[in-house]
Amino acid sequence: MSSIPLSSDAAVQPLGPTRTPVFEQRLAKRYREERNFRLIGLGAVGFSVAVLVFLLGNMLINGIGGFQRAELEVTIDFAKSGVSGDAVSLSAPTAAQTLEMQGLPDIVTFFAEEQLGKNAAREISPDGWRDVAAALIADPELIGTSKVFDLPTTSALSGALQGEGSPEMLALAERLSDQGKLARNWDWGFLARSDATTPQSVGIWGALKGSMLTMLVTLALAFPVGVLSALYLEEYAPRGRWTEIIEVSISNLAAVPSIIFGLLGLSIFLVIFPDLRSAPLIGGMTLALMTMPVIVITGRNAIKAVPPSIRDGALAVGASPMQVVFHHVLPLALPGMLTGTIIGMARALGETAPLLLIGMRAFVATPPDGFTSPATVLPMQIFLWSDEIDRGFVERTSAAIIVLLVFLLAMNGLAIYLRNKFEKRW
Amino acid sequence: MTVIHPNMADETAKIRARDVCVFYGDKLAIDHVSIDISPNYVTAFIGPSGCGKSTFLRCFNRMNDTIGAAKVTGLIELDGEDIHGNRMDVVQLRARVGMVFQKPNPFPKSIYENVAYGPKIHGLAEKKADLDVVVERSLTRAGLWGEVKDRLEDSGTALSGGQQQRLCIARAIAVDPEVILMDEPASALDPIATAKIEELINDLSGRYAIVIVTHSMQQAARVSQRTAFFHLGKMVEYGPTSEIFTNPIEERTKDYITGRYG
Repeated sequence: MSSIPLSSDAAVQPLGPTRTPVFEQRLAKRYREERNFRLIGLGAVGFSVAVLVFLLGNMLINGIGGFQRAELEVTIDFAKSGVSGDAVSLSAPTAAQTLEMQGLPDIVTFFAEEQLGKNAAREISPDGWRDVAAALIADPELIGTSKVFDLPTTSALSGALQGEGSPEMLALAERLSDQGKLARNWDWGFLARSDATTPQSVGIWGALKGSMLTMLVTLALAFPVGVLSALYLEEYAPRGRWTEIIEVSISNLAAVPSIIFGLLGLSIFLVIFPDLRSAPLIGGMTLALMTMPVIVITGRNAIKAVPPSIRDGALAVGASPMQVVFHHVLPLALPGMLTGTIIGMARALGETAPLLLIGMRAFVATPPDGFTSPATVLPMQIFLWSDEIDRGFVERTSAAIIVLLVFLLAMNGLAIYLRNKFEKRW
Repeated sequence: MTVIHPNMADETAKIRARDVCVFYGDKLAIDHVSIDISPNYVTAFIGPSGCGKSTFLRCFNRMNDTIGAAKVTGLIELDGEDIHGNRMDVVQLRARVGMVFQKPNPFPKSIYENVAYGPKIHGLAEKKADLDVVVERSLTRAGLWGEVKDRLEDSGTALSGGQQQRLCIARAIAVDPEVILMDEPASALDPIATAKIEELINDLSGRYAIVIVTHSMQQAARVSQRTAFFHLGKMVEYGPTSEIFTNPIEERTKDYITGRYG
């Protein structure tokens, strides 16, 4: 193109500054820099994706085993067992004890010895009879019939099934699995049980429910307080020294290490409510302290991002300041506030340190039945299991991590759905 | 200092301003301006950028209250009532003195909701049917009804710029104000949309007292019957539009009109 003269005297005119070879070199350099910059950016994104995939993949591979457990197949003939009971006695809260008194553990051992041999019967988990008891309590009609049970094994046999352990145990595991009596089965009970002393009988439900209750308390406290604080500070607070001090304090509060909040919960909440140690209510209150400043800060930014023209438009038709806030500013700022809430809640969900101090690390074998009963939370359960010596807990820990991540994803998914629902363009 | 053309002396005043000053912090943005706004005419404020004409306009519905640093002194009366007085409520004032802004600013709600918002918050329409009537009447007066009557539930922000501005005018007249303030209402619009807005101003004049700020002298000449020329925070000259444009008294007005500066 450049060879075509633009006018008759183009040939005699000197080349303009943007048509010289030097300029073209500079242009090429500019494009090169642009390309390099894009490659670096792409590399950074690729690296983070790779790390994430590695992390999740690793978790998934390890954790899948945690959702399974080694089980021995035992047929129990209740008709021959001598266990008695009716719907009334089996629906009492003490039904499990009643069955234990009637010798249910021994009955289970008896049938196991008969069907699998003495060595194998010893390797049924000491808690194995509880599964049988649970089945009886759920369906008292079983008495008088016989039923096949998959009972959890001890850690030793479970390990042997995966190729670890003493030669005798390995041989036993091989014999039983060849007979089809020993297998790793999908353990749905993991999602329904609570903490226990053996990895074969632990479950995540207690901690999951504890986390849900705690998060509910956190959300119920932190969201309204955070949103109202943000609105007041942004819309009503007079600009001045005091407002500035409050603003700086809130920013600092967001940066305070979480364990400090635990100390606060310990020294204030537990002094006021000494009976609520380990309760989701206190845990939620402590985490709310930590979450609130995050919501305030992001909320204020979201309010600042509402165009002043919308405010002016509403004021000009005679809306009162409160109507401006609730009819116009809040709906437009809500998506941003929800983003802040997601960030704050996700942080709170993964928090262990502050809850250690208010007693949520206790061994809790029953799921909490309310906001005031003792509970533990998912990250705490992970922490506790990762500390266990028994090899079986390694997989259970990974499984618990998967449950935590799924819960986190579900929570964030809900928040993102709500955010998109409320998002409006202007 | 201010030249007021003598043949307007016997006019009634909808808005009467006396010695109004506006300070932004220490800066004097409006310097002792006194003016009477007639209820029957369109009054245009013209002047170079930064002369304070928009600031002065915003005094009439106390929109300067929303700017923390702004301070207004002097007397402004609406129908003889001091708008800063104890008996005047700012919400009521803004219902009586509507405003249309430079940039169209419809709410991110449906077209219907945009127009219905004012009547709703003031409780002017009890029933849905009454509200429908108000919405239709306002949109009709704003010359928008024919274009939007089949899509009242669409978002107001989905309209074109000119339609958005007419929607804002419909929103302002939905509460039946006595005065409409327009702050450069056509400066963000293309010539065709501008022509429609100007036509609309002509239609609305007489029904409402209209004050329009513009930096287009042609626009002032086309739509207004009264023109005030502002320069450096002072009102230099105020008179019938035809006289201001053909026979200005002040030298500075003449210079501005003829394009010497601005």
